[in-house]
Amino acid sequence: MTAALTVTNLSVSYGNVVAVHDATFAVEEGDACAITGPNGNGKSSILMGVTGLVRRRGAVEIFGTKAPNGDVRWAARHGLTLVPERRQLYPDLSAADNIILGCYCWTRSIGRARRSGSFGRAIDLFPELEPHLKQAAGTLSGGQQQMVAIARGLASDPKILAVDEPCLGLAEAVARRVYDVLARIHEQGTTLIIVEEAPKRALTLCNKRVEVRNGLAELVLSNGGPAPHVPPGEKTA
Amino acid sequence: MKFGNLLIAGLVTGSIYAVFAVCVSVWYRVSNILNLAVGDFAMVGALGVDYVYRVKGLPLPVAIITTLAVVGVFAYAYDRVVLRLAQDGPRPMEGIVVTFFFTFALSFFIDGVAKMLFGTDVHAAPALWNGQALTWASLHFERAGLLVLGCAIIIGGAFWLYIRYTLGGKALEACGENVIGARIAGIDTRRYRWLIFVATAVIAAIFGIVESPITGYTYLSGATISLTGFLAAAYGGFRKPGRALLAGLFIGVLEALLGGYVSAEYGDTVLYAILAALVLAWPRGLGFESAVSG
Repeated sequence: MTAALTVTNLSVSYGNVVAVHDATFAVEEGDACAITGPNGNGKSSILMGVTGLVRRRGAVEIFGTKAPNGDVRWAARHGLTLVPERRQLYPDLSAADNIILGCYCWTRSIGRARRSGSFGRAIDLFPELEPHLKQAAGTLSGGQQQMVAIARGLASDPKILAVDEPCLGLAEAVARRVYDVLARIHEQGTTLIIVEEAPKRALTLCNKRVEVRNGLAELVLSNGGPAPHVPPGEKTA
Repeated sequence: MKFGNLLIAGLVTGSIYAVFAVCVSVWYRVSNILNLAVGDFAMVGALGVDYVYRVKGLPLPVAIITTLAVVGVFAYAYDRVVLRLAQDGPRPMEGIVVTFFFTFALSFFIDGVAKMLFGTDVHAAPALWNGQALTWASLHFERAGLLVLGCAIIIGGAFWLYIRYTLGGKALEACGENVIGARIAGIDTRRYRWLIFVATAVIAAIFGIVESPITGYTYLSGATISLTGFLAAAYGGFRKPGRALLAGLFIGVLEALLGGYVSAEYGDTVLYAILAALVLAWPRGLGFESAVSG
């Protein structure tokens, strides 16, 4: 297997506060990797540092190519897309417009974006969104907004999808549905990185786990094999 | 036919307000900065063409192209040097200082340079469509007014088509909705900031060139235009170009009707009293609450 993502001595600071200190880990192509740990210990900062949403120290390589610091657009164009905590949608734009903007990192043509396989796949994975595609994203329920955020990430045609707290604030049934979809995305060959406070749910899907405590990251599980298949609607946290 | 002629005059004036309001609100959506210098770019367009054509004696097309190029390059340089430092530096500024200060200062700067270059007299760019006013069924259409209306329709329509039917236009909207969300999708929010700033500066200059034969401009005319565009944009909460456009047209028509039927002398006073009363009576509907609360 080739390394999809290699993180070496990653540190992230906000002013004088160090959120992540010298994190080193690698995610192989086809892995599903959970980043777990208590709230406020630096899990999301690792993802934001890796994707370039915040500036970092240390090195990040995506499929062997060194990622420039603080350039989230570069990461998206090279196959690493972030589905951020609290979704960061465009509330006054329709759900369909939110999703299609995921294609912006690889095309400027709205026609090409609409005809693309990645946009079609993103729409097909969430049939429950179809009646709401013309609705303003800000008026959707929390679960629907999370689905739009994941669909926007998929529209960018990612090789690695990094999802930050996908079930935060969602009802159990909706959280289960979100994990079903993540399992399908993984089955279709996309490498997954999932940030979760509680490891139990994440480990129904992930074969690798990075535990973060007080800004220090440690690889605590790596079974190397494929992630266990999660039949839709069966396994729960 | 007095009503019809007042309506035409109001629509011409209103279309100018509408376009400036759209310029203000589109750029505010992208950058969270209110462009208080948009009227000054119109003034530079009008007086710049007059200066190059009448004083320097160059052909009119050369004067127009030169003036628009100078406006575009200056706007680009201002973004690169000032706004980039303010918003993209290691310690980006936020809040009221960035929202108002930099374009307010730019407005004063442009006025000062214009006073030195163009003097204090009233001037105008030469009329682009010469001849007597056109008449149809006792309605009078000033040729310059028709040009203004035509430009407003073309530019407003182009903006609308761009935002509604292109991925770039949707990306522009996304910048205004959520900067972090836009960056995650690979949208270069800084690029949109300078692109729209330059585009709106050039559009304002074009309107100054087309409209100045009707009213004439001095180096101080920009502030008044900015103020009315700002007011119309405020009626759309500074973030809704469509509402701003309608508000601009409404203000123009109301101004003309008040001037014609109520009082030519106190028309503006009554106009602003009505506008203030509307804001007090219906702040949420007019978008003022979102403008105030951000």
